[in-house]
Amino acid sequence: MKVKMKRVDEIIERYKGEEGVLIQLLLDIQSEFNWIPHGVIARISEKMRIPTSQIYRIASFYKAMSLNPVGRHIIHVCLGTACQVRGAPKILDRVEENLKIKEGSTTADMRFSLRRVNCLGCCAMGPVVVVDGNYHGKITPAMVEDILEKYE
Amino acid sequence: MRVLKLEIDGKAVEVEAEKGKTILEAAKSIGIDIPTLCYHPALEPFGACRLCSVEIEKRGRKKIVTACNYPVEDGLAVNTKSPEIIEIRKMLLELLLARCPEEGKIQRLAHEHGVVKPRFKLEDERCILCGLCTRVCEELVGVSAINVINRGVERAIGTPYMELSDDCIGCGSCALVCPTEAIKREKNIYPTTAEDTRAIEDRFLEGERDAELGVYTDLIAGKSSLDGQDGGIVSSLLISGIKNNLFDAALVVHRKDGYGYKAEAVVVEDVAGIRRAQGTKYLRVPMMSKLEEALKAGKRRIAVVGTPCEVRAVRKIQQQRDLEREFPGVEITLLGLFCFESFDYEGLKERTKREFGVDLDKADKTQITKGKYIVTVDGEDYSCDVRAFEDVVSEGCPYCDDFVSRLADISIGSVGSTDGYSTVIVRSEVGKKLLDATEFVQAEVTKKEIVKLVRFKKKRADKNFAVIMDGLAT
Ligand SMILES: Cc1cc2nc3c(=O)[nH]c(=O)nc-3n(C[C@H](O)[C@H](O)[C@H](O)COP(=O)(O)OP(=O)(O)OC[C@H]3O[C@@H](n4cnc5c(N)ncnc54)[C@H](O)[C@@H]3O)c2cc1C
Ligand code: SF4
Ligand code: SF4
Ligand code: FES
Ligand code: FES
Repeated sequence: MKVKMKRVDEIIERYKGEEGVLIQLLLDIQSEFNWIPHGVIARISEKMRIPTSQIYRIASFYKAMSLNPVGRHIIHVCLGTACQVRGAPKILDRVEENLKIKEGSTTADMRFSLRRVNCLGCCAMGPVVVVDGNYHGKITPAMVEDILEKYE
Repeated sequence: MRVLKLEIDGKAVEVEAEKGKTILEAAKSIGIDIPTLCYHPALEPFGACRLCSVEIEKRGRKKIVTACNYPVEDGLAVNTKSPEIIEIRKMLLELLLARCPEEGKIQRLAHEHGVVKPRFKLEDERCILCGLCTRVCEELVGVSAINVINRGVERAIGTPYMELSDDCIGCGSCALVCPTEAIKREKNIYPTTAEDTRAIEDRFLEGERDAELGVYTDLIAGKSSLDGQDGGIVSSLLISGIKNNLFDAALVVHRKDGYGYKAEAVVVEDVAGIRRAQGTKYLRVPMMSKLEEALKAGKRRIAVVGTPCEVRAVRKIQQQRDLEREFPGVEITLLGLFCFESFDYEGLKERTKREFGVDLDKADKTQITKGKYIVTVDGEDYSCDVRAFEDVVSEGCPYCDDFVSRLADISIGSVGSTDGYSTVIVRSEVGKKLLDATEFVQAEVTKKEIVKLVRFKKKRADKNFAVIMDGLAT
């Protein structure tokens, strides 16, 4: 995951020399990269002359900011009891295999983040996979690839 | 001058409006004690613990506020001991005791308020999130190495990413203010208390303990064949250490490629690398993350050259962590420099330009000696009183009380010997062995010149620590 530092510098440039702009600056970084990458905090610290701990405090406090990479698309695989019984673990296996990542992480190309959830409240549709809020019900391992392909 | 009149527990108080006093301070001025946990008179109020809650009555309306950050108002009636307030305090202490059942200070406060056994599930926390450590580090010391991080139940005191701090100077101020054991257990910063210093000396050093110079066996002046900052002793020691297989690599500070005077810490393994680092850069350079990186990359026998704060940091992690288990075969040789203070790069550059019209980035050499700052550009020396640079001193230096790198294996500086020589203090077997393996011309040292600076630096730090200590007593 290579972060474009040039882009980071451009964003920092917008705020340089101003006071009390840290939150806004971090939000801009967040919306550019979908997370706040590790090296970026050090970069902001150096350019804005703010100690890293103060930047990290904010970045780790606000819900709108993420210190872990989040892909462009977020996949939730339901592992609630009903979905489990209907074969959800196999679905999760297939997604993990397909994306070559484990649940809880993000693909290197930042396309997908994969998470598990417990019961989405639509057990009758199980097993359920939700991508970016779109529900895909009654799915089988064989359907996984087709579903993922829809999200670029 | 406008005077505000109020009443605390039925006693009348008058406060000058301009003073901006809080209820807590007003109460104190008439001898009324309000319990506090996150308050310190020299720090911005934080309002975190709520133990100082009091009831106020204003135009017939009652309200509960925190006394430590509520400014006095005219006509206010304050009750610090109403049954409701007592209940609130008891509840807060009960929660705190459940969070930190092992903490002496919390136990004492709880017992004083009649709380013995909390009804809540006991946890095993140490930190009460009072934020005294983060505020002292940010507001007084100025480096802000730690902060309150994360949110909700994950909230904690820590360094960014819970990694080793590159900012902490190990001054120990946070340990002075922390009401619990928490800060002492924090492994990513290096607060070094007087007891820590003793323990480190006992474990790593040998020789007589001198009140000013610390533990040492030999004090000499030396000049090597290298033209370093002073006698080139540091670089010669490093070269002979590597040649004689006393260590395999050295963590040194060199100017960054393409950045002029700006410096960075690097691991070098040969003469060329060591020589490139010759000469003092009067800056504080992030070092601990580089050291950890080197250890993780498999380097084991490393010499570290650092200022007193860096030496402290290395010793503190040796003391607190089991490095031998984490990195089997680890051997760290510590070469400490003398240091009165360092400077902020941007500030030093800007001042150098303003004072002499020259560019610091083009300097062949910088020197601080006998109260003078000297910068050499294109063979020309420019100098002025170093006090002209007082306001670009690195944050934290005035809270550092060590001039001679007391905890190093061997300390090197310029004060105490004649021009072209380095002063050397040997503090351990490791340091002795390294010096014995190195060729140099020896000369005499004037100890009292060193002692003068040791005292001067300590006095400055002690004055700052006194402000912290006095606040604890109130
Ligand atoms: C910030 C600073 C302030 C100092 N203040 C004083 C003082 O007030 N009085 C005094 O007597 N001596 C002071 N010294 C020490 C002195 O300047 C020389 O470093 C010392 O005498 C060794 O000289 P040398 O010729 O033996 O070293 P050299 O052979 O020239 O080697 C110098 C070594 O210093 C290291 N170094 C250079 N800059 C830094 C840095 N910023 N941080 C960590 N390591 C660095 C390099 O890695 C190199 O190995 C200070 C040093 C520093 C870094
Ligand atoms: S570590 Fe100590 S001083 Fe810091 S917040 Fe926790 S209890 Fe307070
Ligand atoms: S030791 Fe000093 S610099 Fe380090 S965290 Fe504590 S107060 Fe800050
Ligand atoms: S168990 Fe999956 S939706 Fe309820
Ligand atoms: S002392 Fe006032 S809130 Fe902690």
